Amino acid sequence: MSDDVEIVIAIIRREKVGDVKAALSDVGAPSLTVTEVSGRGSQPAKTEQWRGEEYTVDLHEKAKIECVVADVPTADVVEAIRSAAHTGEKGDGKVFVLPVSHAVQIRTGKEGADAV
Amino acid sequence: MPVEPAVANGINTVWALVVAFLIFFMQPGFALLEAGQVRAKNAGNVLMKNMTDWTLGVLAYFLVGFGLSVIVAALTSTSPLDIVGAFAYVSDSGQWIGWLVGAVFAMTAATIVSGAVAERMSFGAYVFVAAAMTAVIYPVATGLTWDGGLLAAGDNPGFVADLLGVGYLDFAGATVVHMLGGLAGLTGAYMVGPRKGRFDEHGNSQPIPGHSMLLAVLGTLILAFGWYGFNVGTSAIFNSSNELLSAQLGRVALNTTLGMGAGALAAMAMSARRQGKPDPLWTANGLLAGLVAVTGAVPHVTWWGGLILGGLGGAIVLPTYRFVVDELGIDDVCGVFPVHGAAGALGTILIPVFGVQGGSWSFLGVDQLVMQIVGVAIIGLWAVVGTGVAFAVADALFGLRVSEAEEELGLDEGEHGVSVYPEFTGDGAPEPTVTADGGRPSPPTEDDGGRVETDGGVPTGVPMGEPIPDRDSTDGGRPSPPTDAVVDCGTTPPEIDDDGGEADE
Repeated sequence: MSDDVEIVIAIIRREKVGDVKAALSDVGAPSLTVTEVSGRGSQPAKTEQWRGEEYTVDLHEKAKIECVVADVPTADVVEAIRSAAHTGEKGDGKVFVLPVSHAVQIRTGKEGADAV
Repeated sequence: MPVEPAVANGINTVWALVVAFLIFFMQPGFALLEAGQVRAKNAGNVLMKNMTDWTLGVLAYFLVGFGLSVIVAALTSTSPLDIVGAFAYVSDSGQWIGWLVGAVFAMTAATIVSGAVAERMSFGAYVFVAAAMTAVIYPVATGLTWDGGLLAAGDNPGFVADLLGVGYLDFAGATVVHMLGGLAGLTGAYMVGPRKGRFDEHGNSQPIPGHSMLLAVLGTLILAFGWYGFNVGTSAIFNSSNELLSAQLGRVALNTTLGMGAGALAAMAMSARRQGKPDPLWTANGLLAGLVAVTGAVPHVTWWGGLILGGLGGAIVLPTYRFVVDELGIDDVCGVFPVHGAAGALGTILIPVFGVQGGSWSFLGVDQLVMQIVGVAIIGLWAVVGTGVAFAVADALFGLRVSEAEEELGLDEGEHGVSVYPEFTGDGAPEPTVTADGGRPSPPTEDDGGRVETDGGVPTGVPMGEPIPDRDSTDGGRPSPPTDAVVDCGTTPPEIDDDGGEADE
């Protein structure tokens, strides 16, 4: 087992969080952190109205999923998120993979891949 | 068939108390309605203004207002002036329930104003205006009408009523309470000026969405509940001959309900026509406007008259709001003039057209119609003049507006030092002060321009102590649509230096 620890960061549609959780569980990487975020990508700005007057919102509400990966192949995790969060419309989001230089489990003090 | 006088009196007394409590319950309705229509950073200030209306108002109305009303009535009619007698209620326990019923009406008028001037009026100036509303402005209106003054018929009629030969009809205060409050709010909103960003450099309206439609609609329905006290409660249960007023009570209850329903549906239809989709906030506003429109009319009109009046009140809300904003350039945040002012005036003027006599429809006469128009004009004129003077004095004493920097920061923080929706709260840790990140308080900084507001107060992502760069350079340089600046609210860093220690990092 390699000692490589990577973090997969995905920005997805909020309504896809449940599907992504299930998909991650299916590939054996159930641990994750979910944050409600707002951001702008390729999804076009949306128009809302207040008392009939329109205003533009170009920061869309998304969910950010962070998933630290050690045992499971990172590619499986990325593919699980991608297929579960995919609709084909603009605004599906993105997945980023970054190296993690160190990890410590607070309860046990285990380090590196064992901590994950 | 009459009942025993003691029984009739007892039931009427219990009814008056229940009604007072119901109308008091309109206060949380107004608080929720107004808080929902402002941004999260100003919700606490709106709540403070609503609480002040009531708490300061009851004192002012007890010590000054209730007696002043009787004096105004005597001065504008053929009734003899008795200043000592006007204030006899202060030590007459037999009048105190009547005073309480008067007080809940007075505070309803006062609390309407806060919705119009929200999000930029200084708290000190508002407190002064609230006192003026409950001590003078509202009592003068009741003096001219319900207490037997200028517009009232009777043995000692008011001067105008004497001239026209009829008395002014406004049963529960469509004009005496609501139009007065709506016009006071409009006048105040004009004098305070629009919120920063409400109009662009060309004077075009830019929306500033409120933070909770949920609160606004819940507040509306609570108001509607209290309104049954307002309208139905203005009728006694037994008349002076100790006979049950079942016909009047039924008419008042039905017309209140039909007016409410028709007002909401008319506003819903109007919003769907003008905006393409039925809008919850307009529907809620229309529900209230329907209630306002029938408030003066409920015992005087046919059931279908109540329905039509309510529908008209609801239908004019949206066009009136657009007129106030687009043509007059007045930033009436919660639309209090369309809802309380316009609907109250229209519904009260049209009472004679839908009049009922002996249980069936009957035009109440040209004299009555003229009286309704004259009465609306006089009360309206007094509302504008009285409020104008009160706001001018408040401006001289306190200044009407908060600073531009405080307006951006939010009045909750600026006026009261609170956050209505804190993102992080204390967890019982030993540190007495918990900062946003749960750690130790940071030392005060001179330039605290980096404070981040979740509701769009300032752009995010700026490190502490650094000036906030121009918006276009923080979002990748792509020019944003002009309205976006309103949602994100401003590009200038607030220059607040008295909120030391409010660190986010």
